[in-house]
Amino acid sequence: MPETITVTELNTRVKELFLKTPAINDVWVSGEISGLRKYPSGYYFVLKDATSEIHAVMFNSARMRIDFEPQENMKVRAFGSIGMYVPRGTYQFIVEVMQKSGLGDRYIAFEALKKKLGEEGLFDESHKRKLPPYPKKIGVVTSQSGAVIHDIIMTSASRYTADIILAPAKVQGDGAAESIVDGIRILNKADVDVIIVGRGGGSIEDLWAFNEEIVARAIYNSRVPVVSAVGHETDFTIADFVADARAPTPTGAAALILRDKAEIDAEMDALSTRLQRAMQSQMRSERHAFEILDSKLDLRSAMEGLDMHAMHLDDLMRTAEHRISSMLSDMKGRYNAVDLGLRPSRALEDMEALGERVEVSLERIRVRTSSTLENRRAILEGIQDRPDRAISKGLQDLDSRMAADSKMLDGLNPLNVLNRGYSMITSEDGKVLTSIDDIEVDDSVRIHMRDGTADAEIRKKEKRT
Amino acid sequence: MSGYEEEVEQMSFEESIKTLEELVKELEAGGLDLDKSIEIYEKAVILRNHCRKILDESERKIQKIMESSGQLKTEDFEVD
Repeated sequence: MPETITVTELNTRVKELFLKTPAINDVWVSGEISGLRKYPSGYYFVLKDATSEIHAVMFNSARMRIDFEPQENMKVRAFGSIGMYVPRGTYQFIVEVMQKSGLGDRYIAFEALKKKLGEEGLFDESHKRKLPPYPKKIGVVTSQSGAVIHDIIMTSASRYTADIILAPAKVQGDGAAESIVDGIRILNKADVDVIIVGRGGGSIEDLWAFNEEIVARAIYNSRVPVVSAVGHETDFTIADFVADARAPTPTGAAALILRDKAEIDAEMDALSTRLQRAMQSQMRSERHAFEILDSKLDLRSAMEGLDMHAMHLDDLMRTAEHRISSMLSDMKGRYNAVDLGLRPSRALEDMEALGERVEVSLERIRVRTSSTLENRRAILEGIQDRPDRAISKGLQDLDSRMAADSKMLDGLNPLNVLNRGYSMITSEDGKVLTSIDDIEVDDSVRIHMRDGTADAEIRKKEKRT
Repeated sequence: MSGYEEEVEQMSFEESIKTLEELVKELEAGGLDLDKSIEIYEKAVILRNHCRKILDESERKIQKIMESSGQLKTEDFEVD
């Protein structure tokens, strides 16, 4: 009966076999570094050539012996042995010494293409198109199964509303570049406003399609602005250089293209406030202009003129009275002197009668003058009153109309209500339902909440009495 | 003013908010007579309502597009 061994035993045997096989110990291997990760214990990477690859590790002890920093895509010669890691049953190449053997082929190709396209002007700032601030349709060229389209759909949900049209494309491996080019062409035909071309992260090999010349040219020739979103924070692809804008991730691309809804809301509120303020200050200055006009209006100065006339008249009358009475006393004196004996009482009477007549005339003049003044004042005041009243009433009307308008506008905004935690129910055709009489059992209705809608059917209804 | 309402109805969000901004600036600059101010104010209110409506009411479509023998074909796309 054949012996049965444990997994550990098997792997240990493989390890021993490896150790005893000179062909895989102390050998020089040439290849390209890929997927380089740096850990405290050492560098982990994949050594690869055109047709094969092997996991490799260079522990710190070995790293001390080299005078360069290993880089992604670097072509190297590495000296070491195959080691078996028993707990996982995996083997890797354990590097003891490493030499640079020139730059990787891909790197050279990348640099050459970058230089060529740069000289042709494909990266020129002047060719970069501005992204539309409020696009209606966003085209996305990416894989239909990856996280990219998912991330874009999720991120854009809370942003300015736009349709998303996916042109499914192969984003890595054979034919990926052609597939991406096709997607860009189709979306241009479909009249989208902006295109995102992207994929999730990956090694530089995985991203290679985005370094292909045909992809670069398709982006450059796209009628619609293109945003590149090749999920790689540090490495740029040729597509990033040609694109009108570059986002580090697909989520970043969606955020770059669509403005945050809350931000637009805040902007709208600010505009509303500015509108109200401007209108109010416009009305204040309008009122002020009336006041200036009013003060300039001849009414007041006319009034002052009248007052002056009145004073002058008073003055004249006082002078006249004074003169007449001094004339009278003068005459009285003369009569007395001429003939005291000559019917003195009669003369005195005559004088007194004369004096009374003068008094009466003076009184009449006074009355007439002041009544004229009063009349004119009343007329003037009447004139002044009327436009004042009309204008201030007009302004008041406007004020209250504006206040009512803005109140109504804010009240009408259903979001304000929904944001406070209420829900709104509409019929299937969007009519708001406010009464139990509006619905029947089995009706389909839609519930609108702050962050979405739900469809429901009425099972039972009961009218409150 | 109903004529203006119809005009605004045809305007995109971008156009509306741009026009609204211009009107607010015009009003802020002042120096207009009362009738003109009121006219601008009323137009601005119509534009603002239109913008709010677009923001509050629009629903998006998520679709997938393909080309077969030169014809574009779209269908609804559901994320798994």
